Amino acid sequence: MSLATLQNDFQSLVLDPECRSADWVADSKHGLGSKQRLAIYHNAYRIRLTEVLRDTFEHTASYIGDEWFERLAGSYVQANTSEHSNIGLYGQAFPEHLAQVLKHDQEVAELAHLDWTLRRAFDGSNADVITREALEKLAAEGVSIEKFSPVPTLKLCLHHFNTLDIWHAINQEEVPPQVVALDEPMHVMTWRKGYSPHFRSVSAVEYAAINYLCEGCDLEAIGEALSLGFPGADIVNEFGLMIARWLDDEILTA
Amino acid sequence: MTFSFGLGLRTQHYHDFLEKSQPVDWLEVISDNYMVDGGKPLVMLDKIRADYPMVMHGVSMSIGAIKGVDPEYLRKLKKLEQRIQPMWLSDHLCWTGVHGRNLHDLLPLPFSEEALQVVTRNVNQVQEYLQRPLVLENVSSYVEFQESEMTEWEFLTEVCQRTGCQLLLDINNIYVSSFNHGFDASEFINGVPVGSVKQFHLAGHQNNGDHIIDTHDHPVCKDVWTLYKEALQRFGFIPTMIERDDNIPELEELLAELGQARTIADEVFSQKVAV
Ligand SMILES: [Fe+2]
Repeated sequence: MSLATLQNDFQSLVLDPECRSADWVADSKHGLGSKQRLAIYHNAYRIRLTEVLRDTFEHTASYIGDEWFERLAGSYVQANTSEHSNIGLYGQAFPEHLAQVLKHDQEVAELAHLDWTLRRAFDGSNADVITREALEKLAAEGVSIEKFSPVPTLKLCLHHFNTLDIWHAINQEEVPPQVVALDEPMHVMTWRKGYSPHFRSVSAVEYAAINYLCEGCDLEAIGEALSLGFPGADIVNEFGLMIARWLDDEILTA
Repeated sequence: MTFSFGLGLRTQHYHDFLEKSQPVDWLEVISDNYMVDGGKPLVMLDKIRADYPMVMHGVSMSIGAIKGVDPEYLRKLKKLEQRIQPMWLSDHLCWTGVHGRNLHDLLPLPFSEEALQVVTRNVNQVQEYLQRPLVLENVSSYVEFQESEMTEWEFLTEVCQRTGCQLLLDINNIYVSSFNHGFDASEFINGVPVGSVKQFHLAGHQNNGDHIIDTHDHPVCKDVWTLYKEALQRFGFIPTMIERDDNIPELEELLAELGQARTIADEVFSQKVAV
């Protein structure tokens, strides 16, 4: 048997739902039989990937409980192989898996998505953040910055449930509130500040502004676009407050 | 003779290493944990690296892969290698998956001429790319293959001779595999050429009576200490560390365990080990 065939068969055996025996395993006069030996690899694969999911989706696991989480992780592991050398990326499609499987409990997928984006922000790319002090110093020197970019870890998403409250409660080891469907979907921003992943809700105006920022618009263009998009709002004032808050949040780079 | 003892750096102990100088000569980092874009892991790595020499230890190179080692993986590894400037860099003599899939396990190879040729080609490519010798670790295994034509130690010896790579001899893995497959662990040790070993790993395991699982969640057992002594007698002093990956205790406890390794080395070479 060629090495290619052996590795191919070994891999299929590990990935198949049920462990089987294989004729390429040498008979052993010692200890376990060959099927039990292969079962060690078969089990270890599932245990390892389930552990990674539990670690990545910590709040989700707490929210739905160990038993349920284990079952959902098990079905994900059976349906999804890993194509990453970094095992931490294995859960990428888990929120989507939960959305498909738990049609009547969509807040679980939303919570899982939040766990995922926060985890990715944790070790996402670094950037030179512009602080309020740095900007004031530049202004004093007569330098004005016309365009900012968002930090690379910044992500926007839309929540349909009180998922942020659920996350907070779990994070404080408190009993999470009852799930509530929101009247209006809520815009949520996630990013890393210092070493720590952060998130907060954003208004519709701020959501639009950050989107323009992500698209590469300069400040003047964003201001104009917001005035057009939100004719009733005091954009000049609101946009100024927004930029001040972005500086404090450390989401701006030059 | 200079002795040097290390520990595997784990996130649980970042604070201990940052807070004050700890009695270890070097730290081993899991390369894959730092092959990330940014954030805290790399900041901690740089801070701790400033105070300790490091060695890099990877788990995803898949040196036994028929298709060859993934160039993207190697590119990231080299980038990290340039950042850390480790004393040496190791991975495992195993494969981790085929057809672009990763089973995230250290799967054993058959000890055959064909596997030797694949490993030789891959090690040569990696060494050429990294411009440094690779260090390969023997893995714990639970199956043996019909296709094997030689013993594991003969296979390791051949890999070293054909590529010039060196070995990270995991004493616990030798013990685990010898228990699971019924071979003599001393024969393994005596079959590995003196001069080919760069590092020793010591670790704990879970003994289930009729088989042992390599869990790295227990202290090093008595039989493994005995084997460590044998290995020191054969190879001379080799930089040694304790690997703990699960059920990770306080740093103090691991340092105490490392102290046992110092005591054994001290006995073997009859000289005081400077702490
Ligand atoms: Fe090891």
